Amino acid sequence: MTQLLQTLINGLLLGGFYAVMVLGFSVFWGVMGVINLAHGEFLMTGAYLAWLLFTSFSIDPFASLLLIMPIMFIVGFIMQKFLLNRLLERPSLATLLATFGISVILANIHKIIYSADPRNVPVSYSGSFELLGLSLPLVKSLIFVVALAIMLGLYLFLQYTRLGKAIRAAAQNKNAAKIVGIDIEQVYAITAGICIALTAAAGAIISPTQAIFPFMGQPFTLKAFTITVLGGLGQIPGALLGGMLLGMAEVMVATYVPGIGTNLGVVISLLVLILVLIFRPQGILTGLKRMPID
Amino acid sequence: MKNFSKILSKKWGGLTLWGSLIFLLSFYPLTGASGIQLFTATQIFLWVILASNWNLIGGMTGYLDFGHAVFFGIGAYTMGILVTNSSLAFAPKLSFWQALPWTGISAVIFALLIGWATLRLKGAYFSIAMLSTFAATREIVRILRPLTGGGSGLDLPPVLNRPGEYYFMLITMAIVVSLMWWIRRSELGMSLVAIREDEVGAEMRGIDTTFHKLFAFAVAAFFTGICGAFWAWQNTYIDPDVVFFQNRNIIMIMMCMLGGLGTVWGPVIGAVLLYLLQDLIWSNLVDYHLLVLGVLLILLIMFIPYGILGALGNYDTASIVRIFKTSNKTKAKIK
Repeated sequence: MTQLLQTLINGLLLGGFYAVMVLGFSVFWGVMGVINLAHGEFLMTGAYLAWLLFTSFSIDPFASLLLIMPIMFIVGFIMQKFLLNRLLERPSLATLLATFGISVILANIHKIIYSADPRNVPVSYSGSFELLGLSLPLVKSLIFVVALAIMLGLYLFLQYTRLGKAIRAAAQNKNAAKIVGIDIEQVYAITAGICIALTAAAGAIISPTQAIFPFMGQPFTLKAFTITVLGGLGQIPGALLGGMLLGMAEVMVATYVPGIGTNLGVVISLLVLILVLIFRPQGILTGLKRMPID
Repeated sequence: MKNFSKILSKKWGGLTLWGSLIFLLSFYPLTGASGIQLFTATQIFLWVILASNWNLIGGMTGYLDFGHAVFFGIGAYTMGILVTNSSLAFAPKLSFWQALPWTGISAVIFALLIGWATLRLKGAYFSIAMLSTFAATREIVRILRPLTGGGSGLDLPPVLNRPGEYYFMLITMAIVVSLMWWIRRSELGMSLVAIREDEVGAEMRGIDTTFHKLFAFAVAAFFTGICGAFWAWQNTYIDPDVVFFQNRNIIMIMMCMLGGLGTVWGPVIGAVLLYLLQDLIWSNLVDYHLLVLGVLLILLIMFIPYGILGALGNYDTASIVRIFKTSNKTKAKIK
């Protein structure tokens, strides 16, 4: 019983991280219709920035968010403005290949700069505390709290600010948004900046618990895709639910299937992806926007 | 260049040109070429086969497969398991020729199983499902230690026969490209192109789209599996990371895009050019090799999405209409 509860808690903590990890991917896809295959590589960039700030200036990874997010906002803004906006007239496969190219470039730039050796961020507070007989890892709980805070922030931003409303309008109907005077290319560039900043933030907060190396990104991209398909496009509640489900599934398999360990995350997410796409292509939450399968 | 496209557009022109090229190439080892020259030529042939196969599913049928190297890996591992001497749970110790058919067959079986699930997905969904399949298969191979040797890999019996390898790849390449040429002109190929242009429309015209897609997928998987098996034999060592190598996916796609997606000769031209370019980059700046390729991929998409054959004005042969169909406005800009 305690083991089951402990597994559920671990799944919940992992799911919270997955939920914030997927936001950037999901909003990118929902607003611009671009599947960002460089998602995991931007996450890796965030993790490396956190590592750099931690080792050179001993800035805590959670505090470094304040620096990393603005930097990555600019990177995303430039990428959308000068590359992807020019490809939007073409079908989605052109942007798919372009982001594939970006992922190769990013991974290899990092390999050249930092070499392929794995790095880690050894924060001082890496213990765990007891709660009702269950052990909660301190760092993972902190990640969970920060993830929820980021999600709430994004939700409030999209719901109540003028810019957030413009972004939602652009996602709902591009042409109508143009007619009412929204500068669609500018809104796209800002959205891309926000998405990349969120992705890098996810990378920065995961850095204390994970080895950082240049080719760590791809599993994250694949999991983000699965979660988005599970939860529905550009939906914050959907992202939360999908992330929780995938996190639970992974932790359950790692705990209860003997002799496998934690390396099967990608396999599980592939199975989930194929099952969902075959049986429920509209996502698990009903009443949300249907997936635009072209 | 105009004469070249004229020959290609004649009924038997392309195949005649191809036949004479193969005939000339078959004399290359007799001219006293060194081992490394033959090795380079063999690698180029290997990549021509891989690119042509990718083109069958990605270019002609319009299903961009981001994980096609999974069949390469399946072929390589089947070969490794069947011929290896190590103490695995299952090691029949066959010879190369005895093992070769099974590599292709296992790739086809895998393709039918995975294609049954993934080929019903459209567009980007298919691409990412295949990318996941690729990554997932690598992890499964790593875990199946009693069968595949896990992360420490398999040692194949060492052989060195450069002229033999050269002729084997030359003949396979001749067969594969001729097959692609035939498929492109046959009713089968027309059906594939119809699926690419408008799948629902094709179905309404009475084309069995599921059968055609699975058939194209299986053919592409068969020869990719054979290539993987050959590569494993030549390399004499395989492990999950060298066999399921992410860059192989990228390079296959780039070769087709460079030459011209959906054409018979595009992948051939693209594979030769990109391999030579890669060799050049590799020998001068090893570290920047993939970085340069990534930049090249983006430049290709932005400036010549129709590939070299398309840029030569050969729009009919290089019709990649559904994949990179531009609105009239941007088309005018490209011209």
